[in-house]
Amino acid sequence: MKKEDVILCRCEDVTLKQLHDCFDEGYTTFEEVKRILRIGMGPCQASTCSLLVQREIAKYTKQPLDKVKTHVIRPLITGVPLGSIAKEAKDES
Amino acid sequence: MLKTTGVPDKALILTRFPDDVILGKPKAITECYEPIPCNPCETSCPFEAITVGEDINTPPKVDFDKCTGCGICVYNCPGLAIIVAQLKNDKAYFKIPYEFIPMPEVGETVHAINRAGEIIGEAKIEKVTLRKKQDKTALIDVSTNTELIHEFVTIRRMR
Amino acid sequence: MKHVDLLIIGGGPSGLAAAKMAAESGVSSLIIERDTKVGGQLVKQTHMFFGSEKQYAKTRGINIAEILINDCKEHDDKISYMTETTVVGLYPDYVVTVMDRNHKYSKIKANTILVATGASEKVLAFENNDLPGIYGAGAVQTLMNVHGVLPGQDVVMVGSGNIGLIVSYQLMQAGVNVKRVIEAASVIGGYKVHASKLKRLGVEITTNMTVKSAQGNGALESIVVQKLDDDWQFIPGTEEEISVDALCISVGLSPLSNLLSMVGCEMKYVSALGGNVPVIDHSHETTVPNIFVAGDVCGVEEASSAIVEGYYVGLIIGNRLGKTHPHYERLIQDFTQQLDNLRSGPFGEKTRSGLAQLRGEQHA
Ligand SMILES: Cc1cc2nc3c(=O)[nH]c(=O)nc-3n(C[C@H](O)[C@H](O)[C@H](O)COP(=O)(O)OP(=O)(O)OC[C@H]3O[C@@H](n4cnc5c(N)ncnc54)[C@H](O)[C@@H]3O)c2cc1C
Ligand code: SF4
Ligand code: SF4
Repeated sequence: MKKEDVILCRCEDVTLKQLHDCFDEGYTTFEEVKRILRIGMGPCQASTCSLLVQREIAKYTKQPLDKVKTHVIRPLITGVPLGSIAKEAKDES
Repeated sequence: MLKTTGVPDKALILTRFPDDVILGKPKAITECYEPIPCNPCETSCPFEAITVGEDINTPPKVDFDKCTGCGICVYNCPGLAIIVAQLKNDKAYFKIPYEFIPMPEVGETVHAINRAGEIIGEAKIEKVTLRKKQDKTALIDVSTNTELIHEFVTIRRMR
Repeated sequence: MKHVDLLIIGGGPSGLAAAKMAAESGVSSLIIERDTKVGGQLVKQTHMFFGSEKQYAKTRGINIAEILINDCKEHDDKISYMTETTVVGLYPDYVVTVMDRNHKYSKIKANTILVATGASEKVLAFENNDLPGIYGAGAVQTLMNVHGVLPGQDVVMVGSGNIGLIVSYQLMQAGVNVKRVIEAASVIGGYKVHASKLKRLGVEITTNMTVKSAQGNGALESIVVQKLDDDWQFIPGTEEEISVDALCISVGLSPLSNLLSMVGCEMKYVSALGGNVPVIDHSHETTVPNIFVAGDVCGVEEASSAIVEGYYVGLIIGNRLGKTHPHYERLIQDFTQQLDNLRSGPFGEKTRSGLAQLRGEQHA
């Protein structure tokens, strides 16, 4: 399989090869790979890739899928223009 | 194999057919073999001929004494799993559900199709019914050879 | 800041059903829906539904949506809507942040919150899986049944669950040639009545097979499929190339539960329920008090059960807010029974074991 042609995260264009390389360097939790590859940090906020990444981590670390720690979800679940947030803050005060 | 290909085995199909004498009158053949949560066949039959029962996962059972072959259950079944079959005047008659456009026309010759989707002969369109209450599922009356009584399941238009 | 009694996130069947029961109990609610109109997945379902008549069996999905929407209209004084508005944040002080179609960002505070966001389609990892022409089955359904656009002429469907089978049938109805349905498991996943219906049309269904790669210059031109053994490993030498201009992926749904993780609800990965789901009690309340869930977000199932769960939770929330439905006891019992009945067969086994796992119970 050409791992560099398998896209895991469409928003940030991260491939299976990049993820596996990251594992080989010792980063094997979702939070770690997220910080290095930006995987799951695009507009869809990991709705597409999270299960794929969890599955790869499970395979690599040889744990059952339900033992793999899921990534931390922070507000906001989709892109919001900063201007909109600023405007709201102004209107509220 | 129903489980791997979607085609029921002959033996399984035969469990849903009454004998040829009973088939002198039109009867409903319910090809619904698997327990799924569903019962519109039971609730739509005006003659209480189909029983699913309290547990709606039970596959339907037809009481051939009560079934008049009216075909109401045919277009009410969301699985399109019911046909009405009859042996009469050296021909096999069927009522089948149909959801494709354009609709076939009365008198048209069409392919007779078996459960594997293969052409097994010819059939003739006898009647096309599509009333408002049928909610877009047409009921088509079609005739074909008697030998196809256990094989025929639907039609395909010749192009 | 706007303040409401009950805030419902998601206007699918479960959200609408909950709004109706809450309204009958005397509770006002606000439904926030990111789509242009409410109805959820139902608005693209042109096929007749299963279930019993209580859950509108044999009615087409799109017409069930109509029924639920009209029911809500009868409570116009109690139910209000914000469509084309996405909930982007959910906070422990019961504040949600929303963004509307004009990118206007605002906050709403609620006494109780029902998260009914449904589920999203799972994706598959294979070579060149980002080529144009590769779609999720739900996306194809939206394209075809809502917008009247065909995804292509020659299609292969990956996945033989109900959605894969139903969408294949609808593709054939639209005049698209479904070349094959492939399934990685050794048996067909969905109802056999749907499989038989497709087979009659001449569509091949092949089990123990998956897609290995996609090829094409700028857009999809062909795929390579390969047989799998019972441990889901590729069997060498069984590759087969199929020319297609569209590939439809239907390998399941996973609960859209990210708002719940965000607010700190305890979550659990339960594969029988589709992925990360909130830990709930029998009243469908999460571990964060006054935040409730209903429908696919707490376990991927069917519209029939999503509707009944919605009704059930609507009653509970009414009661919680001190407004008890006049027929509370009877209805709770009725809905509980309906859910049990829907889930009692072999297809409900997954849900039953998943729920038991979620609630930390032993499952027989
Ligand atoms: C192809 C297909 C065929 C199906 N066939 C059947 C069938 O035959 N029988 C059956 O019973 N079921 C069927 N189902 C399943 C059924 O459609 C779902 O189980 C049901 O719609 C779930 O209802 P829900 O209310 O939980 O979620 P949904 O219907 O998914 O509704 C959730 C709503 O929430 C909105 N939303 C999500 N996130 C946000 C947010 N952050 N802010 C604002 N709004 C948000 C979404 O836009 C959506 O409108 C089918 C599903 C599919 C895809
Ligand atoms: S054909 Fe008519 S009488 Fe016979 S089972 Fe169907 S609905 Fe009932
Ligand atoms: S209505 Fe059709 S699919 Fe449903 S139980 Fe009856 S025969 Fe089976």
